Amino acid sequence: MGSPLALAALPPCLVWQADRLAGSAAAGLPTGFAELDAQLPGGGWPRGALIELFADRPGVGELALLLPLLRRTPADHWLAWIAPPFLPYAPALTSAGLPLERLLLVRTTNAAETLWATRQAAASGACSAVLAWPARIDGAGLRRLQLAAEDSATPLFLFRPPEAARQPSAAALRLLLSGRPGGLTVHILKRRGPAAAAPVELALPQRPGAAAPSRLDDHALARPAPARLALAGLHPRRT
Amino acid sequence: MQVFTRGAPEAGLLAVVESHPRQRIVAASPAARALGVNAGDSVAAALAVAPDLLLRPRVPALEAATLEELAAWAGHFTPHVSLDPPGGLVLEISASLRLFGGLPALARMLVDGLAALGLHAALAAAPTPLAARWLAACRPGELLRPRTGWQDRLAGLPLGVLVDAGVGLDSLDLLLGIGVRSLGDVQRLPRAGLARRQAGAVSAVLARARGEAPDLRNWFVPPARYTARVAMAVPTDNVEPLLFAARRLFAGLAAWLVARQAAVDHCHLHLEHESGPATVLELVTGAPSRDEARLGLLARERLAALPLPAPVEALHLESGLPVALAPRSDDLFGDPDSARENAGLLLDRLRARLGADAVTGLRPYPDHRPERAWRPLPPGARQPVATTTAGPRPLWLLPEPKALGGRAQLTLLAGPERIESGWWDEINGGDVRRDYYVAADEAAALCWVFHPLDAPGEWYVHGYFG
Repeated sequence: MGSPLALAALPPCLVWQADRLAGSAAAGLPTGFAELDAQLPGGGWPRGALIELFADRPGVGELALLLPLLRRTPADHWLAWIAPPFLPYAPALTSAGLPLERLLLVRTTNAAETLWATRQAAASGACSAVLAWPARIDGAGLRRLQLAAEDSATPLFLFRPPEAARQPSAAALRLLLSGRPGGLTVHILKRRGPAAAAPVELALPQRPGAAAPSRLDDHALARPAPARLALAGLHPRRT
Repeated sequence: MQVFTRGAPEAGLLAVVESHPRQRIVAASPAARALGVNAGDSVAAALAVAPDLLLRPRVPALEAATLEELAAWAGHFTPHVSLDPPGGLVLEISASLRLFGGLPALARMLVDGLAALGLHAALAAAPTPLAARWLAACRPGELLRPRTGWQDRLAGLPLGVLVDAGVGLDSLDLLLGIGVRSLGDVQRLPRAGLARRQAGAVSAVLARARGEAPDLRNWFVPPARYTARVAMAVPTDNVEPLLFAARRLFAGLAAWLVARQAAVDHCHLHLEHESGPATVLELVTGAPSRDEARLGLLARERLAALPLPAPVEALHLESGLPVALAPRSDDLFGDPDSARENAGLLLDRLRARLGADAVTGLRPYPDHRPERAWRPLPPGARQPVATTTAGPRPLWLLPEPKALGGRAQLTLLAGPERIESGWWDEINGGDVRRDYYVAADEAAALCWVFHPLDAPGEWYVHGYFG
């Protein structure tokens, strides 16, 4: 047998090493974060697949992670948000560069309607991305959604509570999101290819209080901060 | 027979009964024929061999309506259609042959199209209407082209076909009496002799069939609105059989619209019950359309959500006024319009099932108060000119500010941003006097918190920087 050195000298297209991602995956949609692209098969969000995102609480940056993708919504395609838990705030979405006229906000009254609307949106091929917040969903439902997304080549993002990460799923990609100061930590729970070794640390420079914490303080019209009360649990930022 | 069975994929055990001049079976479904029920049997005899037989009285009005519906449908093959009662339709196709790729191809399209409507027809072509009709009755499937000597192919037809064309029974008896069995035999008889024996009508009819005398017909004029009715074989309130029958109607509507180069943006589907008023379903497409699949999908969503007071006996479709639609040519490199059409279709379906209010878009609204700085908008509508906001705004807004309990551990990162507005709106609770901060909680999630100026100790969460 040849030495490991000889193997390494061969061109990469001839040798596949087990710790590398399979090269055959179809090219994905760039996430906008180079660190994450490097860890995802196909170098980005898989086209036409179910992607589960487990955020332990709102506000960790779960939408900021998707913003680069959502900004690229072409005309003629919808950007479907199905049963979001809060109100997507139009002024913030506009300043984030989202094409608001392509936004399709769907409100549902029960879990079955949410599932139905998600499937319709994913299967129609008329959406550049589908974001859904199902209350609860079983394995068969996940499988159907995965098939719908596969057929129409639409990336379908399901936002679910972190407890649901234990449930087996047909999703092609499962990410656990947790906050960290100035950014977001992404644990890749499942991907096509070998298991990911370490979580990915992403910087989210657009977030307030991250890159330019003193922006407001520099503002010409900013008032001096009113006396902050030493309330239990509310502390001024330590600098 | 077919007017009853077209609403269901399987005819089942069914027979149509005529009560005049005496009760007898007019037609029977294949399943019934297999059991030995034949046309012409008495009702008692039929029930003896097939006790489960479902009997329906013959409805001549429904047959006539179906024939007219069919004539309207056939309008997309040729503009010259004429009714040939009781059960025939004559299409003048010589001008359409090249468009549809020849006689056999056109015949195949007619058979396929009829199958989509749930009907089956005996088809024949000939240079004259009478000859075509006789061939359809005696040798279905025969397509005669106008070549020299085509008239000789009619010689083998039996004498019975003459009855349909207005020849009296006494003339027929006369011919049978002298040993004439086929049209060819009649042709060989001297015309003068026939005329002398009050059988001149025979040679006149024959001359029309052979193309030696003109055969004038009134062309069918399609109605200005499409209406069609299909009876259910068995009354039901199940969605699937209803949908199956409705698809028959949509197929007819689509063909009618193609013939008129038009599209509809709404139509009414009446679900008729045995007693009580019909349930009316209004199907609205976002844009004028003549796509039967699209109407079928809309009907499915509406029917699934519709509570029916009683089983449905028949479906009745009434189209809205058609609007002209420019035909689209197929594109070699995919259809550039299909993405836009898909987007409209998705919107239609979501609205049909969830209601029009459940599907919206969003737009920012120039107001300083955060909870009023947005408005719903019909999806896809043009956005107003974007306004800029003074400070950071969260991607998620809570519908109502949520009071922070004493346990929350928050670190203030940015702020304050004072928002003081809406004093004129105090009655509606619109008076806002707050200091907003960006805060991070112990898991580094960012929230948008404020305290009212009037109550500096109370803290509220108003949004999350998702």
